[in-house]
Parts: sequence; structure tokens; C-alpha cells
Amino acid sequence: MVEMKNVNVHYASGIDALVNVNLRINDGEFVFIVGESGAGKSTLMKLMMRELMPSSGRVFVNGYNLEKLKGNRIAKFRRSIGLVFQDFRLIQDYTVYENVAFVLRIADQSNRYIRQRVPYVLNLMEMAGKAKHKTRELSGGEQQRVAIARALANDPGLLIVDEPTGNLDPEKSYKLVGLLKEINRCGTTVVMITHEHDLVRYFGGRIINIDKGEITFDETIGGNDEDQ
Amino acid sequence: MRTSNVNYLVKKGVSSVWKNFIMSFASFSILLVSLLQISITVLVMMNLNIVMGNIEDTNEIAIFVEEGATTEDIEHIRSVLENNSELTDVKYYSKKEAYDKFSQQMGEFSDLLDYLEENPMPETFFVRVKDIKNIRGIVEQISSINLVEKVNAPYDFAGALVNIRNTFTVIIVAILLVLTIVSVVIVSNTIRTSVFARRNEITIMKYVGATNGFIKLPFFVEGCFVGVLAGVAAWGVSWFIYDSIFSLFTDNLTLWEMFGFFDLIPFGNVSWIVLLSCCLAGAALGTAGTMISMGKYLKV
Repeated sequence: MVEMKNVNVHYASGIDALVNVNLRINDGEFVFIVGESGAGKSTLMKLMMRELMPSSGRVFVNGYNLEKLKGNRIAKFRRSIGLVFQDFRLIQDYTVYENVAFVLRIADQSNRYIRQRVPYVLNLMEMAGKAKHKTRELSGGEQQRVAIARALANDPGLLIVDEPTGNLDPEKSYKLVGLLKEINRCGTTVVMITHEHDLVRYFGGRIINIDKGEITFDETIGGNDEDQ
Repeated sequence: MRTSNVNYLVKKGVSSVWKNFIMSFASFSILLVSLLQISITVLVMMNLNIVMGNIEDTNEIAIFVEEGATTEDIEHIRSVLENNSELTDVKYYSKKEAYDKFSQQMGEFSDLLDYLEENPMPETFFVRVKDIKNIRGIVEQISSINLVEKVNAPYDFAGALVNIRNTFTVIIVAILLVLTIVSVVIVSNTIRTSVFARRNEITIMKYVGATNGFIKLPFFVEGCFVGVLAGVAAWGVSWFIYDSIFSLFTDNLTLWEMFGFFDLIPFGNVSWIVLLSCCLAGAALGTAGTMISMGKYLKV
């Protein structure tokens, strides 16, 4: 669950990135956060992952009051969420397997569990065949799937995905969002940040629009994939 | 943290040394030079301590006994001196022996003593002090012994030696301190470049929930490992340099003995201590350098 109460983010440069944002995303929801470049979407993501603190207001994610997190509790909180970045942020020198396995090491899982879990999530993302490849040898779409596999490795309750289709062709973009919808149907809350309105209209669901730091639209609409 | 995950991080750290070979080699070279300077300084200090000790050992206090002391009195004074833990080499000279020793010390002028009608020398004890710093207090103790007439001690010699030793210690400590600080600064800057090259990796680890300890451990192992390697190398090079200098002294022993440079320490006698010290100092410098360099990249 994500909850923001009267959140304002004011940067030192004088920009108001978020203005009085009130937001609640319940467990099990699939939410698109849309808006133009510079609207405040990335700031919202940074708040949810506790990379940034609000100038005022409060943020709660997965039961954590982010304002009160200090030191290693921040690390523990981040292990409770799955993050997928637009630029993937995979460790290029690691193999696909190692990129997924190391988040399980961070969570102090046993070797036995790691040996079972990594192939499982890679298989889910159809990347098991490339487990031994270095990530720098993969295409953008493949790297995106490895990034999602990594985010899912710890079986997070909340998956935050930032512009996942930015580097993909339309066909792969639709396929990827379909995959995220599948993950959501299994019970994971998914927050997807995007500026691709066509994609959002196609899939439908809850859509939150941000414009100049303010939430201007928060509704649920029907999509073309409802029959799927 | 599970042992399997600690093992994983340690292996990561060791393999990073080879993966980032150029940066590791730069850190290794700087550590080697620093450790070499430190180990040579320490070896020089150890030898100079021995030399100073040898010079100090030549100190001699003369204790003159009053006229008319009986054999029992002499034995009493001897036992007091021998039981004093600060003294060593207690030697007794009868009037005749004291005269002969004095005559010997006069050398070519000993003929002058023939003009004396009788032996002016009293019965005398000669002793050496273990620690020359305490010479004044010891002389006071000896003077208070019954039937001791006078005590002659080389105060100027002792004072000069104590001053030299103190100055020498301050200089060596200052050199070691400066070398250590300079080493840590240079090593941390070198390692910072290595950490900078991997800042993305560190940032990613922070984003996916790694604790600072989890991130630091491989870097810690890497710094420590490079430090130990540099320590072993510094030990080998020190051995070579020291042996070369040592043979210079031992080949011309008679010349150097005049300055108290006898029984210098052969490297073999301190080899293990030097190896252990170099490795520990290398590990400490490497680790300290790594820790100093990492701080800024952990604030994500």
C-alpha cells in the first residue's frame, strides 16, 4: 500500500516538483501514473523508494513511515519493494543469473533458495536460456526483462516500474505491460510510470495524471484488454 | 549474515583485485612504497636502539669506600649493590687493584704515580646502570649506603645520551606518523578512483536494498588483500635492501665497532616480525584507504 498525505516537494533550484499531493494505492491495484516530461512522475517514484524526502507531508509505503526510516532500515524497506528503472540499472559485468541472485544475497537468502528462485523468476521472464550471458550482451528488451526478474526475486508486495517501454518497440511494449498485468493478477501491486497514453488507453485501469506537480486526474477507465 | 553470503562477498572482493587489475596495481605500488619506507625506518630504529644501548652500556660508576672498612663492611656493600635490580656488573677492586686500574687508565702518564709516597686509591666498586635515565636516583641510593665515601658518575655522558635518545625517538615517531598519514591519503585517493569507476554498481546495490555493510565488505576485502600483497612484497624488498646495507657494515666491522655498531640485527632474526608487521600495516592502510574513499558513494 502506498499513501501520500499533503506531500510537497520543493527543490533548491526553486522548482515545485510536487504540490499538495494526496494519494492512496491499495494492495493488489495496478496503477498507471502518467504525465509529460517534467510533470513530477520521477519525483513521485523517488519519494516511493525513499531516495528523496518530501519538503512537507508524509509518505507511507508497505507500512513504513518513510520519514522515520534511518540507516539499515532504509535498506530493509527497499527489499520490500521491487524497482524497475527506465535505464534498467543492471550490473553490466555480472551475468543475468548473478544480477538476479545478488538481490537474494542482499536479503541473506540461502544458496539452496537462490539456486531454486533465480531460475524460477528467469523462466517467468523467459530469460532462463540467457542466464550465463553478461547483461551487456543483451538487447534493451532482454535487459528490461532481467530488470523485472530482479525486481520480482524477493517476491515484493509492491512493484514500481519507471518508463519500462521507453526503449522498446510498440509490439514489445504491449507484451511487457501484458506481463506486468499478469504479475498483478498474482497479487503484486504494480505502479507503472509512463508517458505513453496509447498504451494506457489500451490496457485501461486506474490512471493518475500529474501535471506541473499536481494530480489532475485519478480515475479508473476500461481498456481494450479487459477480455484477456 | 549467513556464512555462505559472507563467503560470496569475500570471493567477490578477491576476484575484484584481478578484475580491476590496473587500479589494484596502482594501489599495490603506492602501498609497497609506503610500507617499504615504514619497514626500513623501523629496522633502522631497532638497530639504532641497539647501538644506543651498546654506548649506554659503557657507562661506569665508581664507588669509593671510606678508609678503615672491614672485610664484613665490604661484603655488606657488595651485597647491597648486587641486590639492587637497577645495577649490573658489580666489580670490587682492592686498594692495590684500584691503583693498578688507575695506573692503566693514565697510560703513558702512569709514571707520575711513582712520585706518590703511598697508594692514595681507596677500595672501590665499579658498577653499571641498566637504564642510564635513572642514573641520578641510583647515585643518591648508593651514596646513602654506610661507609660509602664518594660516588663518581658520568652525568654529562648520561645526560647527552638520554637527550640523543629522546630526540631520536621523537624524530622517528614523527617520520612514521607523517609516512602513515601520507600513505593513507595517497592510498585512499587511488582507491577512490577505483571506487568511482564502480559507483554505478554501488548505487544499484543501494537501490535494491543492500546495507552499507554488504556493499563495503567486498571493497574492504579487496583493500585488505592488496594491502597484504604489498606487505609481502615490501618484506621481500626490505630484506634485500637491509641485507645489502648489513653486509656493508659487517665487511668493515672494526671501523663501525668504534661507533658502537657491533651486533647489528641480522634480518633473519626479525624476518617474521617484519613480515607480520608489513602485512598488518598493509592490510590496515589498504582497508583505511578503502573506507575513507567509500563514504560519499553510500549516501543514496
